[in-house]
Amino acid sequence: MDIELSADDLKFRDDVREFFKAHDYKPGQDYAQWRLDWFKAAREQGGWDVPKWPKEFGGPGWSPTQHYIWEQETARANLPWDMPFGVGMVAPIIMNYGNAEQQERFLPDIRARTVNWCQGYSEPGAGSDLASLKTKAELSADGKHYVVNGSKIWTTMAHIADWIFCLTRTDASGKKQEGITFLLFPMKQDGIEVKPIITLGGSHSVNTVHFTDVKVPVENRIGEEGKGWTYAKGLLAHERTGLAGVSRSLVALEKLKYQAGTVKRGNGSLLDDPSFRSKLAKLEVDLQALEFTELRSLARAASGQQPGPESSILKLKGTEIQQRIAHLTMEAAGPHMAPWGGIHVGPKFASGGTQSYLGSRAFTIYGGASEVQKDIIAKNVLGIRTQGGSN
Amino acid sequence: MNFDLTEEQQLLEDSVARFVADHYALDKRIKLANGKLGFSAEHWQTFAELGWLAVPFDEADGGIGGGPVETMVVMEQFGRGLILEPYLATVILGGGVLRRTLEGERRAELLGRLIEGKLQLAFAHSEEQARWDLEDVVSSARQDGDGWVLNGAKPVVYNGGNADLLIVSARSSGGQMDSDGISLFLVDPKASGVEIQAYPTVDGLRAAEIKMTDVKVDGDALLGAAGKAWPIIEAVADEAVLALCAEALGGLEVLYKDTVQYTQERQQFGHPMTDFQTVSHRLVEMFMEYEQCKSLLYRATMEYAQNGHEAARTLSACKHLIGTAGKFIGETAVQLHGGMGVTEELRLGHFFKRQLVIESQFGNADFHLEKFAA
Ligand SMILES: Cc1cc2nc3c(=O)[nH]c(=O)nc-3n(C[C@H](O)[C@H](O)[C@H](O)COP(=O)(O)OP(=O)(O)OC[C@H]3O[C@@H](n4cnc5c(N)ncnc54)[C@H](O)[C@@H]3O)c2cc1C
Repeated sequence: MDIELSADDLKFRDDVREFFKAHDYKPGQDYAQWRLDWFKAAREQGGWDVPKWPKEFGGPGWSPTQHYIWEQETARANLPWDMPFGVGMVAPIIMNYGNAEQQERFLPDIRARTVNWCQGYSEPGAGSDLASLKTKAELSADGKHYVVNGSKIWTTMAHIADWIFCLTRTDASGKKQEGITFLLFPMKQDGIEVKPIITLGGSHSVNTVHFTDVKVPVENRIGEEGKGWTYAKGLLAHERTGLAGVSRSLVALEKLKYQAGTVKRGNGSLLDDPSFRSKLAKLEVDLQALEFTELRSLARAASGQQPGPESSILKLKGTEIQQRIAHLTMEAAGPHMAPWGGIHVGPKFASGGTQSYLGSRAFTIYGGASEVQKDIIAKNVLGIRTQGGSN
Repeated sequence: MNFDLTEEQQLLEDSVARFVADHYALDKRIKLANGKLGFSAEHWQTFAELGWLAVPFDEADGGIGGGPVETMVVMEQFGRGLILEPYLATVILGGGVLRRTLEGERRAELLGRLIEGKLQLAFAHSEEQARWDLEDVVSSARQDGDGWVLNGAKPVVYNGGNADLLIVSARSSGGQMDSDGISLFLVDPKASGVEIQAYPTVDGLRAAEIKMTDVKVDGDALLGAAGKAWPIIEAVADEAVLALCAEALGGLEVLYKDTVQYTQERQQFGHPMTDFQTVSHRLVEMFMEYEQCKSLLYRATMEYAQNGHEAARTLSACKHLIGTAGKFIGETAVQLHGGMGVTEELRLGHFFKRQLVIESQFGNADFHLEKFAA
């Protein structure tokens, strides 16, 4: 057992810090251009624009420790905005299951962040039970294209996305996991209607998407017809481990401490309030443990082993901790948590705290609701039979 | 031992419940919340006509002489409807101060207007540094001839933007944390030196930040004796805590019952959600918490009716339990609704947000647990 970083790792950390400093956004710069330039520069570092991509597709081929360092540093740095749907979600599927022509066609734009993607999985009737999805794709008589009809819901960023990766049903005769086909198609075309859903914080990020006779060329199908579930499932597992956000939570906790320190209580601050203090301390204890759970999981991956039981808890614990930090931030604002609509009264962080608390409620719902995650762990890790309720 | 409402109380409950059912469907509420006023002036007149604005006032003042139980009955139903009208600010807080301080003609005039629905009030007390410590007041009142000069800021004053008159606290003597030395003033929001920035709150209500710079008021603006407002502030805060707890309880009932219904109707994996034991057990826990809150609300209300401020410890117990249950029931309701839970499309999300704000008013769960333990 050894938790020291090697000299090479320390050098890597310095390089990363150096890079972030050299390419930081400067006030007045055109943000959109800076963003594209940033990713270009990161690419020139040797695949830093796509840290998780395999080497053969241009990724950096980092060790798990380097990934960990990267996470730590990015949590503190001001990175350009990025959506997980392209680089993080559809790209691995295209790499693993797409053909060479598709890889050539889609990966470069995904990598350059010039094309935005959205994920069309969930449907009104198929949430936790995703495999029961019904959006229909019918092959045309000439076999040249699919005709897609149906509805998706909760599609994040569908209103700005250029492309969608979409699970569709091509066969309803067998088991629900069979007969699902993975299609890629442009969002800006006739027959696609996107409607906003306003979430608790009053913001618009999710949508309903309706398809009416949308034509999708067969070349846009990933892998075989009817095998989409297998492809998507691999990604789901990947999506779930990516959500622990330990580094981000550590930074958020530091910020919370600072913020609570600015809230005056008598001669001291909120940090002297015994119940607030103990909640903060408890959070820190749990986060210290989770940090090492993540490291154990990384170390195992580093030695080329299968993910151990500890990786299964990362999303569950990670999201729970994120929610608790958000709640405590809102609590720190006291009576000033309420002012809304861009108004700032009381502590500076007040309205932001409420906003992130409301947003955080979704963390235990998307990417697999916590209850369903537990069902999966019960089955796959503890090896017990459950009442059902996971795929 | 009897927990039944009297016939009059039952009639009151029925009439508020009927109003809520008729006028407070979600779409109607959203429309009102987004309107200019943030509530309905017409509804306010209805409240006056039905005698709800008269509830806590003595018959001699034109009221109906109701006590804490009557207020609880009204507030619980308001909570079930997620009512926007500023009843707490005007009747409980503002009215609570006026009926404890005014005398003679002015009393008759102002309470009369309030009961008729012609007077909106706001209680501008809490300050940024105070958090929930009621005695922590740094706004100042300086005597100036017969009158007073007021300075200070009140960041979160509910109904502050719509009030016809403000009830403002300021320190006329003593140190920052002294309960002695605080005075209350009746201030015209249009007076020179009063700056009001009105804003919406996250639960769809309205509040305002009020700043006072050398605001000159006449001697008769002083409510009660100079520096002796503490017992009045304490009393209206007690009543606000009870009112908020009753409102919260009404909301908690909606939250847990809506979730029971939704999870029975929603099917995934070929089963209603309630077939999964982890779901049904959580529904039972929500229900249990709700019932416990109800018991403690009854206890606090009845003790307060009997013993006034001596019941403060039970009031704190109640606000604590409502706060923790509000978090548990609210968050669980959202979680069990899945994606639907985090939208503004179901009423549940709006009820959830109201619980969060109630938790931020007059002391949160931790604050009251500490008071209880002290
Ligand atoms: C903000 C947000 C963004 C999203 N973005 C996307 C996106 O971009 N693309 C996309 O395809 N989807 C997206 N989703 C959808 C998300 O994946 C689903 O909301 C999620 O899978 C849950 O489905 P549901 O909402 O239908 O809830 P349901 O399946 O109806 O479940 C409701 C609740 O019931 C409980 N529950 C469910 N199953 C079980 C069980 N077996 N045992 C015990 N309890 C159970 C859980 O508490 C769950 O939260 C997003 C959702 C949100 C909230």
